[in-house]
Amino acid sequence: MSALPTLTNPSRREFLKSSATGSAGLLLAFHLPAIAAAADSPEQVFQPNAYIFINPQGDVRLVVTRSEMGQGVRTALAMILAEELDADWSRVKIEQGACDPQYGDMTTGGSMSIRSTWDPLRKAGASAREMLLTAAAETWGVPKSECSAIGGSVIEHKKTGRKATYGQLAIKAASVPVPKDVPLKDPKDYRIVGTKRARVDNQHIVIGEAHYGIDTKVPGMLYAVVARPPVFGGKVKKFDATRALAVPGVKKVFEVPAVEMPPLFGEQRKPDSGHQHYLWGGVAVVADSTWQAIAGRRALAIDWDNGPGAEESTEKQRATLTELLKTPGKELKKIGDPEAAIASAAKTVEADYETPFLAHMAMEPGNCTASVHDGKCEVWAPTQNPNGMATALASVLNLPQSALTIHITLIGGGFGRRLCIDYGVEAALVSRSAGTPVKVIWTRDDDIRHDYYRPISHHRLRAGLDAQGQVTSWLHHIAAPSTDSTFLGGELPDTGGTEVAGTGLPNGTVANYLLQQSFLRTAVPRGYWRAVDTNWNHFAVQCFMDEIAAATGKDPLALRKQLIATKQKPAGAADNDSDTPVNVDRLLGVLNLVAEKSGWGKPLPSGRGRGIAGLYGFGSYVAHVAEVTVAKDGTLRVDRVVVAVDCGQVINPDLVAAQIEGGVVFGLTSALYDEITIQDGQVQQSNFDGYPMLRIPDMPKVEVHIVPSHEAPGGIGEPGVPSTAPAVANAIFAATGKRLRRLPFQTQELATT
Amino acid sequence: MNAISITVNGQQHSVEVSPDTPLLWVLRDTLGLTGTKFGCGQALCGACTVHVDGEATRSCTTRISTVAGRSILTIEGLSPDGQHPVQQAWLADQVPQCGYCQAGMIMTTAALLAKNASPTDADIDDALGGHICRCGTYQRIRQAVHDAAAKHSSSESKSPAPAAAGGTR
Repeated sequence: MSALPTLTNPSRREFLKSSATGSAGLLLAFHLPAIAAAADSPEQVFQPNAYIFINPQGDVRLVVTRSEMGQGVRTALAMILAEELDADWSRVKIEQGACDPQYGDMTTGGSMSIRSTWDPLRKAGASAREMLLTAAAETWGVPKSECSAIGGSVIEHKKTGRKATYGQLAIKAASVPVPKDVPLKDPKDYRIVGTKRARVDNQHIVIGEAHYGIDTKVPGMLYAVVARPPVFGGKVKKFDATRALAVPGVKKVFEVPAVEMPPLFGEQRKPDSGHQHYLWGGVAVVADSTWQAIAGRRALAIDWDNGPGAEESTEKQRATLTELLKTPGKELKKIGDPEAAIASAAKTVEADYETPFLAHMAMEPGNCTASVHDGKCEVWAPTQNPNGMATALASVLNLPQSALTIHITLIGGGFGRRLCIDYGVEAALVSRSAGTPVKVIWTRDDDIRHDYYRPISHHRLRAGLDAQGQVTSWLHHIAAPSTDSTFLGGELPDTGGTEVAGTGLPNGTVANYLLQQSFLRTAVPRGYWRAVDTNWNHFAVQCFMDEIAAATGKDPLALRKQLIATKQKPAGAADNDSDTPVNVDRLLGVLNLVAEKSGWGKPLPSGRGRGIAGLYGFGSYVAHVAEVTVAKDGTLRVDRVVVAVDCGQVINPDLVAAQIEGGVVFGLTSALYDEITIQDGQVQQSNFDGYPMLRIPDMPKVEVHIVPSHEAPGGIGEPGVPSTAPAVANAIFAATGKRLRRLPFQTQELATT
Repeated sequence: MNAISITVNGQQHSVEVSPDTPLLWVLRDTLGLTGTKFGCGQALCGACTVHVDGEATRSCTTRISTVAGRSILTIEGLSPDGQHPVQQAWLADQVPQCGYCQAGMIMTTAALLAKNASPTDADIDDALGGHICRCGTYQRIRQAVHDAAAKHSSSESKSPAPAAAGGTR
């Protein structure tokens, strides 16, 4: 195997040390003990920007400013830098940047990492390359235009055959002014971008040396678990720590105060907005080891004040949502006269759909290590949202941001859970009260019962068809609690978002369209779950398209093509990235490709069926065909899922394939198994037994086909998820003639014997 | 608390912990071997899998008192250089995404291959059906198990069995 890039984790302390000595005009360097320390004084390192460092020994260090949680961002972002820099990929050293204002927004979410860094990182790499070219030209006394970066961290003057390495040019390049406008490469010249490269973390992962947040150990650290209110919005009334303190190794037991937390992403929230973004407090047990802390918590006696949330149950919520759909909701979008059109339609189709609350269940449970002392706070956090965590820590601890140090650890699965910052705030409060560094560990039970859940939703869809079976009106009414209102209060869209991603089609392609929304108030906190609102809206829309196809005797693929062939951008591009225009040709392209690769239309034996769904979302175009077998007793097996992807310029095709493969499993798990249910205001599930995951025996064959493209990169972490459930639902219909309109699928309804 | 003697990755340790402490937390908190992961605490996910006398075992529900004097192998001790055929196959097939579950997957696979040099898909389902990968890497895991098996058997045919490796040459 060829040499691989190395991955190191800089410590923030060293960063501060070197930045304090950094000379004016140069952006800041990370000082790394792992690399020849003596040679790395700022004067001797070429630092054209915040992401690239080259020393005279030729070490090329690249800083990644997004969080790695399995999507391969440390590899992909470094590949972008290395491409424009023409660096030797096998020798680059990749570092996780700590939370720092110089990097701007470091949030890792919304499948945005590549989309938001593609331009700045290419420019950073190209700018460094141009400075090295200038340095070489000046050194050799030749025109810069005669010099070229030939890859492998080498500049060549072809006429004279002279070559210089980046290490040889580093000191000279450091004195070259940073150019303003730099040429970016033509994609045909790419050497690294677009090629399959190994994930830089994997070599550590397979030997057990990859360090996740939960593996943090700092001097003097104790371990803690927290007993949190079992009912959302509940609080500690009183507690007795006597027995807990008698457990060997238990050092301290104390109440964690309930505190208000600021919004996650720097938004302004109205006073009295009715938001629910609080840490509800609890009782912390601090001990010499995790197990002793867990044993201590078991010995606690706590009286809880459950509050009004204790009245809630899933059955009541479902009944309320059903009621909400009976009266008109808030009108979000209207084209033409949809009610009149449906009243005069030759034929109408109607269906209701529903999806449940869902937990994230990353394999690495919640955890955070914090050290709060002497007006300073240092945390080691598996976070997708370091900026939001900094804002919250500063607010809750009443410290200036300059007193905070946030180390971003490797993350054992994020899926949106770690956009929330509750676990970091809680760890800091525990450390402050304990007077020592503390690692707070969440057990699986804690993790599932104190999540920010994907919201429950109900949908009513109605369509009017003319005598020829053309869709003339489409009406979609969504009833759900709002995700954003957890953090911002109010009711959407008052607060900015609309949570209607995934309703995009056929909005704008039918003459009469109506989108309405009704809101459920609940104490159950809602959060961002991989692909967010696209999941539930897209499920309803893509299943309903299939129902219209069946009602009009059309092929489901043909109906989709017909609906989108009007070549209109959906009005308002009801999606979370309306900045990227919907390109109907690209959507048709993935639908056609998935049809071809899946054998769409070819006959299948009895009991088997294919279903299709296609998505524009997150800047990408993705279409799924699922193939299922339904046994007479109702047993459902998903045999194969074929996915066609057009995500624009691919950085690393293996990462794209992996994210789609994983996205399909994520979607399947939710479609087949999972539901968070509430009784007396409490989550009823406590572990993987009550909240199962798809496992290897049930893994279908997943095939990923990527459309070659040099369009701007689209997102890839999320768009593999949403089409999975509707493609399977549609395949079930094809196999059995039965519609399953509720997630998770109630497969007992499929039994015929 | 009495001292309990355990052998981990060939090294003997004497640990003073309560006898009901799960092996997982002794490995992680007491010995600092954090390659073994905490996932569920109830033997439902497999992230904590280690070998106890060669058997794939869930360390989160294994009381330390039950493994006194026995030989424990963790991901850190699976090979001296990361070159175990299973580790190599995991890299060649680029299996991990977040990677958190993979130590458990690798340890179970290594135990499987030690007993069954060429497992069928059904054998793989049987051995790894107790594991969860939330990132959904199962397709690559299956491929990597087959690839590791191929490598494992070809390396065994070239060199003597491990028991003899340190002996005659």
